[in-house]
Amino acid sequence: MKEETGTSFLSFDGVSKFYLSRGRMLGGSGRQVVALNRLTLDIRKGEIFGLVGESGSGKTTAGRLIVRLEEADRGIISVEGQDVTHLKGKRLKDFRKRVQMIFQDPYQSLNPQLSVLDTVSEPLLIHRVGDRLSRAEMVMNALQSVGLSPPGDFVHRFPHQMSGGQRQRVAIARAMVLRPDFVVADEPTSMLDASISAQIFNILLEMQKSLGITLLFITHSLAAARYLCDRIAVIYRGNLMELGPADDVIQRSRHPYTRALIDALPKFGQCGETERFNTFLKAERESSSTVGCAFFGRCSIANRILCSQEVPPFKTVSPGRRVACFFAEEQGKNLTASKTCHYGI
Amino acid sequence: MKGDKEIRHRPHWFEQFLEGWSVFWQNPLGKIGVTLLGIFALMAFSSFIPPLVNPMYHPMTGVDPEIYSSVGPSARHWLGTDFMGRDIFSQLLAGARIAFMVGVSAAFMSIFLGTAFGMIAGYMGGFVDTLLMRLADVIMVLPTLLVVLILASLFGQLNIWTIVLIIALFRWPGVSRVIRSQALTLKQRPFIEAARVAGASHIRIIFRHIMPNVLPLAFLYMTFRVTAAIIIEAALAFLGFGDPGTVSWGMMLQWVWKTGHMFKALYWLLPPGICISLITLSFYMIGRAMDEVLDPRLRREETAR
Amino acid sequence: MALLEVEDLSIGYRTRLGLHRAVEGVSFSLEEGKSLGFVGESGCGKTTVGMSLMGLLPRNGEVLRGRVLFEGRDILSISEEELRLLRWKKISMIFQAAMNALNPVKKVADQISEAILAHSSSVSKAEASRQVEGLFQLVGVPKERMRDYPHQYSGGMKQRAVIAMALACKPRLIIADEPTTALDVIVQAQILEETRLLQEQLGISIIFISHDISIVADVCHDIGIMYAGELVEYGSREEVFDSPAHPYTRALLSSFPTLTGNREMLKPIPGEPPNLVDPPKGCRFRERCQEASHECSLISPAWTELFPRHKVRCIRFERKKGPQ
Ligand SMILES: Nc1ncnc2c1ncn2[C@@H]1O[C@H](COP(=O)(O)OP(=O)(O)OP(=O)(O)O)[C@@H](O)[C@H]1O
Ligand SMILES: Nc1ncnc2c1ncn2[C@@H]1O[C@H](COP(=O)(O)OP(=O)(O)OP(=O)(O)O)[C@@H](O)[C@H]1O
Ligand SMILES: [Mg+2]
Ligand SMILES: [Mg+2]
Repeated sequence: MKEETGTSFLSFDGVSKFYLSRGRMLGGSGRQVVALNRLTLDIRKGEIFGLVGESGSGKTTAGRLIVRLEEADRGIISVEGQDVTHLKGKRLKDFRKRVQMIFQDPYQSLNPQLSVLDTVSEPLLIHRVGDRLSRAEMVMNALQSVGLSPPGDFVHRFPHQMSGGQRQRVAIARAMVLRPDFVVADEPTSMLDASISAQIFNILLEMQKSLGITLLFITHSLAAARYLCDRIAVIYRGNLMELGPADDVIQRSRHPYTRALIDALPKFGQCGETERFNTFLKAERESSSTVGCAFFGRCSIANRILCSQEVPPFKTVSPGRRVACFFAEEQGKNLTASKTCHYGI
Repeated sequence: MKGDKEIRHRPHWFEQFLEGWSVFWQNPLGKIGVTLLGIFALMAFSSFIPPLVNPMYHPMTGVDPEIYSSVGPSARHWLGTDFMGRDIFSQLLAGARIAFMVGVSAAFMSIFLGTAFGMIAGYMGGFVDTLLMRLADVIMVLPTLLVVLILASLFGQLNIWTIVLIIALFRWPGVSRVIRSQALTLKQRPFIEAARVAGASHIRIIFRHIMPNVLPLAFLYMTFRVTAAIIIEAALAFLGFGDPGTVSWGMMLQWVWKTGHMFKALYWLLPPGICISLITLSFYMIGRAMDEVLDPRLRREETAR
Repeated sequence: MALLEVEDLSIGYRTRLGLHRAVEGVSFSLEEGKSLGFVGESGCGKTTVGMSLMGLLPRNGEVLRGRVLFEGRDILSISEEELRLLRWKKISMIFQAAMNALNPVKKVADQISEAILAHSSSVSKAEASRQVEGLFQLVGVPKERMRDYPHQYSGGMKQRAVIAMALACKPRLIIADEPTTALDVIVQAQILEETRLLQEQLGISIIFISHDISIVADVCHDIGIMYAGELVEYGSREEVFDSPAHPYTRALLSSFPTLTGNREMLKPIPGEPPNLVDPPKGCRFRERCQEASHECSLISPAWTELFPRHKVRCIRFERKKGPQ
């Protein structure tokens, strides 16, 4: 699997995560949910890597495994060759200095009782970085770099005194203040206005450029992923479906699920000639969760016998480009959207 | 409050307090409760005055040289005197001081213990949780008064601070249950996870992130606990297990009873009785009004979207 | 005559800091069977407009001025009793985040049939449950899931159930407040498609509220852009998307990427909306406007009609059109 270029920073190697769902209302036996199924991928140093999929596809789970809010049940996660899957104690704390996360909901991810200064300086305090004065300066710089300026206006505010966009910037500042190597951004704009989203995206781009941070960007919108990411992985119910450079995955998608995600994007502008792929079944068909292709239940191009019985291999269709579909090569149609057709994020 | 040009840099809890206070003050129960409590506080503060005016007004040791038995109200003794000629009014004032002391310190201690154990149990979960909560269950089913009575009869007279300590030790489980359930929901909140990702230790998360968010609730419970502590102390004193070195309302009632003045000297029986009822009532009313302030249905939704 | 006509609607909230002027001089009209989208960023007053049409403003909210004519009657001046008859039977609303407000301990179907029974006394229980079945089919929730509890539903199914509830009494107008926010793209596309179909098939008029202009692009015939409590541009979908006039509209449209061509930097709108307790004089957008001139802080812009179905409030157009 060495066809890819660039040094790998973080890699998933056959990582699985299972949850026991609490079952139905009263009693009822717990059902096992496969949140991630043998996920294998590499994230390269300095890139923005997009993880795309619909709700419940396991995106957040992948992010939480990296920052160790959750532990993998199977497989290995490694950072720069070092196995970090089950770090403990001091080594885990040191690891946490390098890996941070930005959460989905800025209305929930900031402690309502702490001021901006307290929130952003907390990671510095925890890792005993600098003295009081230099910490304050680092906080100011971090606030400045996320566009909260002048920072003096914000340091003493509390979350309820700020808009959603401002709160999310504080959350970004908190994640960036330690100068981590790697940041997981879990749908950082799904709770924010579309117009604020663009601001947050630009801040993330700027951060990645100026600090050389590697970013895992989680989203359900391929349009947002295309704007930010160098490479994209599309997952469906915990299974990797398609992987490759952002433009390639979007403009020459090979997997019917990726195509369904493109179809679903809201759009405006001169989109008249855009063809739909129509690869998504309205009504889900009977399928097994253990044998066959994970997407079989919703796939309009599936072969009833082949796809329901065999798991499609994750094959390489061109250098750096991999697809888990038997019919990947036959998927000839490329995206025909015009350059003036804009898509929702 | 966004887009607010002039943002006052006040801590969130203080803002919350101000907002809560305005809701509180609109509640008639709260208003009556606070007014009553204010009167008792005034009594407690002024309890130092009578002995300064004349040593014979000292609630414990001051004896009117001209009176040898309990007499009714007069200009010299507004509420009359007790069996050995001590001034009932100044005893009543001193009793208010003791009631506050016992009530507030016992409540504070039990809230402290309850909050600490509740947070730890809720946040840590698992074995620690089970252990602490079983302990709480055991203590909760023990009848406080009976246990204190047994202790008192074993160790003889208890001093007032021992009584306070015992009340506190027996009264934390109720609080800890409430705080624990709060901590359980807080634990799931993303800002706690954010702190974990930042590398915060358990201690740090408990004290820095969970505690400020459960304190308002803890203080609500404190008002209810004050009531309980005052009643327990009064009962103990009345039954003769109080601290003989202090003048509390329960103690006054005990004196009335022991000297056989129960139904002969209403001027002596009624004041402490009424005071005990009123002060517990006022704390209770304040608690109810605070309940309303903290009621999530009445609290304004914080998220803007 | 239009089904709904709103004239000069102004709404304020009494707060500790003073009167918060959440909606200021909003006028629009909606024809039978048409749909209208309101777009603007958080806090611009979209929900407030919707709530006032339902007569459901919060206690500290107050209509300061204006008329709301529904079927020719001013619903701001009718009694609470009459309003109750109107609500749900004639006008219903899909509340923001309503899918999280479903009663967790009641079966979804029962919640909907209760809504039906509460508003039409002539309907029997059996008839109501038959209607619920029809509604589930209409919004695309499988029949066998009717007897489930809300927590057994996915986000998309809950949202569909909420839509079914809004349709329960066959209203003439539905106000949908951010019905797809917090749903993923796939479910969002399905819900939007369903909304459009329902509207075409049943001829219901829809007011669609969203902060995301790309979402209303497909669903709405007319679009109103709101900023800081005011409508700033109003017109048919084609007009607004093909020739956006107001700088704010153009700024909104420029925060969306393309999937082909070069990756151009998105140009977000800098700054924050103004404080509405003490709104700025003149144009409310001027502080964030790239094209603002000195005059913008002096005069509050008036409506300029660009085309019969397209008007804008910006003084650059007033000047062009006005007397020389
Ligand atoms: N703590 C948990 N207990 C049980 N099941 C869980 C838990 N966390 C996640 N899951 C399940 O794991 C699967 C993947 O969830 P995950 O949150 O990773 O999805 P996601 O792609 O982030 O979705 P979304 O876009 O909604 O955030 C889902 O089916 C979810 O129900
Ligand atoms: N009950 C209330 N009391 C005081 N102010 C309120 C109240 N409800 C809303 N507001 C304020 O009125 C303004 C308009 O609110 P509204 O909910 O209509 O906005 P919106 O456009 O629906 O925003 P969002 O996209 O966040 O839902 C906001 O600034 C809000 O803070
Ligand atoms: Mg997620
Ligand atoms: Mg709203």
